[in-house]
Amino acid sequence: MSADRENHDMTQTDIALLLADATDEVEIGTAPVQAVVRGGRRRRARRWAVAAATAVVVLAGSAGATLAFAGRPGEHRTQVATQVRDVARPQVTELAHGTDHGKRWRVVVSVWQAPRDRTEAARQREAMQSYGIDGSALPGLTRLVGRTSFYASLYYGDAPLRPVIFNTVDKWEKFAVADLESGASHLAEEDAEGRLVVGMVATTVRQVRCTWKSGAATVAVPRAAAGSPVDWFVCVAPDGTGYADAKAITSG
Amino acid sequence: MGERKDARDEQFQSFVIGRWPRLMRTAFLLTGEQHAAEDLVQTTLEKVFVAWRKVGAADDPEAYVRRVMINAHARRHRRRLKEFLAPKDDSGLVREVPDAGDRIAQADDRSALLKALSQLPPRQREAVVLRYWEDLTETQAARAMGCSAGTVKSNAAKGIAKLRAIPGLADMVTQGGRNR
Repeated sequence: MSADRENHDMTQTDIALLLADATDEVEIGTAPVQAVVRGGRRRRARRWAVAAATAVVVLAGSAGATLAFAGRPGEHRTQVATQVRDVARPQVTELAHGTDHGKRWRVVVSVWQAPRDRTEAARQREAMQSYGIDGSALPGLTRLVGRTSFYASLYYGDAPLRPVIFNTVDKWEKFAVADLESGASHLAEEDAEGRLVVGMVATTVRQVRCTWKSGAATVAVPRAAAGSPVDWFVCVAPDGTGYADAKAITSG
Repeated sequence: MGERKDARDEQFQSFVIGRWPRLMRTAFLLTGEQHAAEDLVQTTLEKVFVAWRKVGAADDPEAYVRRVMINAHARRHRRRLKEFLAPKDDSGLVREVPDAGDRIAQADDRSALLKALSQLPPRQREAVVLRYWEDLTETQAARAMGCSAGTVKSNAAKGIAKLRAIPGLADMVTQGGRNR
């Protein structure tokens, strides 16, 4: 590099000054607050609609394959068809829904197929973000390659999707009869206790008993979720109490 | 509950009004074009609105906003492959050194810089803008770009090296065309 060239080199401070100066070219104008709010509301509504539509597809697709569970009239297990491989489209199943303090809530599980390489992983990560997964629940690219991810998440009122339990695994863990894995979280933001319990059990489990700190209990029937070899359950505690314990019940 | 929602909406609206100018400037450097910048900022803020309950309560909402903006920019770039650039000065004529205060020449300089910036690959452009316009540390920029600090460092270094290699830009600085 010649001396002349060195004299003409820009320092990083110069670059910062040039960039700052270049921004004077843009006309700032007034912030379109109302347009932003309207657009935001549309996006929120669309997200609800997309999630609901996907859940319906999973259920509708499996309707023909519904098997009655032997010896327990009225109780059904849903065998869910596997979908064509697409790492950017999770298989979504609604596990439970309800209303709490006048607000609708739904718990859905999304299962994301293992990307083969970093390109697929990047596409999947982007799709996860669009789906509403963010922050610490979003795995790094390297972690995604060759691994299946699943998220059991809550939609509560207008709030963004909130993962309750999630993991990225090489292989699904095999659940023995009495095995149960669950996570407790608040349902409404203002809940002092973990009222929402979401968990996984073996497909042989017929019921799960969730016991609350108050001593009361709730029984949930696990259900299948598309793309998942284990069954899922959701329990919700009454107001003012929270999760104490959950047990799989294998016999009637 | 309703009052809390109103308060949140108000908080969001104040946030939009307060941050709009700065976000517009950042988006302008990323996109190189007025309308694309407006579009990018509006899209970003709409997404922020959806998550405002969480974002508004966070210690550093700006970090989230930057992350959303960079993601939106990256996504847009992948989709279009080619952005609205500002290819204004490719006449091949020898560039005259502008007098300080000469507004027309200054505008030419700016468009030369924007053109140079727009010719950088998107990740390098994002790294340069975040590091040298937003004045973020490598760690903060990495958080915004969803990559490691090392990747930011290397992207910023490559971007800066390419900008430095443009003689016209170096002249602007050394001849006093940029003294703010």
